Amino acid sequence: MDSTHTSESSSLLNNASNVIAITAHEFKTPLTTITSIVDLLSTKLRIDRYMNPFYEQQLSRITSEIFSLNSMLDEMLTINNILSGSFEAKKELLYVEEQLLPLKEQFRSFTDDNRTLQINVSGTPCKILANSGQLTRIFSNLVSNAFKFSRQNAPVVHLSYEDKALVITVTDDGIGIPAEDLPHLFQPYYRGSNTKDIAGTGLGLTIVKTFVTANDGDIAVSSEPNKGTVFTLVFRYPDTCQ
Amino acid sequence: MNARILLIEDKAGLLDTLKSLLELHDYAVITARNGEEGIAMAIRHLPDLVISDIYMPVINGYELLDHFHEHTLLCKIPVLITSAKKEDDEIETAMQKGAAGYLIKPFVFAHLHEQIKKALKRNQQS
Repeated sequence: MDSTHTSESSSLLNNASNVIAITAHEFKTPLTTITSIVDLLSTKLRIDRYMNPFYEQQLSRITSEIFSLNSMLDEMLTINNILSGSFEAKKELLYVEEQLLPLKEQFRSFTDDNRTLQINVSGTPCKILANSGQLTRIFSNLVSNAFKFSRQNAPVVHLSYEDKALVITVTDDGIGIPAEDLPHLFQPYYRGSNTKDIAGTGLGLTIVKTFVTANDGDIAVSSEPNKGTVFTLVFRYPDTCQ
Repeated sequence: MNARILLIEDKAGLLDTLKSLLELHDYAVITARNGEEGIAMAIRHLPDLVISDIYMPVINGYELLDHFHEHTLLCKIPVLITSAKKEDDEIETAMQKGAAGYLIKPFVFAHLHEQIKKALKRNQQS
């Protein structure tokens, strides 16, 4: 009886997980249609010489909100994969810098200001053993937060190749995180008490922490309200530097 | 002469919007609602480039790439894939089957246009 019950629960969980995955993917086509309609309107307004800064700004805001919604869907899909135990575990030796460069381009295209992600490197580059997709996700979430919660200077990612490990910091000079929120930051659905007016699911940092741990890394955060935040990640090298 | 693009997408709203956008950018556009119709249109019109979704009824985007690869008239036509799937294995499969590019939905038209121009230029040079 118990085993039947367990098997039914497991099957229900799998079905629920599939429904979430399929629904989230199905949302992406209407999102693409809406983005394309915005592009179509912009193009037509330009051709007909009706475009002005007001229209341009409002149309850009629609696109920006669509991509926020899309990020939330991606977070839901990732958490769904984590909870159903189906996230990829294949690891390979890779240079972290190579994972970061496409992000530089990505954030140049999708931010509505002129800031560009800064990437600094010190020391002699060594490969780490990690899952490429998960690593991209870790940095995508941290960098996206750094842009979202700051407005002045561009976020900075610093890669420091130390003797035994790669130490990475992601720094912004944004709104910061109140001290009372810091211990709960990586819990699912937890959002900082000063982020109520900023869109988000509260899942991004849970995903970051899960993937850092899955790749044998460590993560820590230090922050001061209205000064900024620094996330520090440490990934040890395999036996020798490659 | 403007490049002729075959657009294959089963969602009518997206198909119409992308068609209008491409036409505003001076491309000649023909459309199909699934892979089978797309292959027939490609043989009839021999477009300069194809933009195709992956998950469609009758013949999907992967099968379409296989058909193009095996067909003497179609094998030189670049095919750009658009899909909501962003997993590495999906992208790798499409590229191994000969896709000229892979765009993850949702995308902005500027990215699609950039890929179209690159694929057409590469094809002209080869």
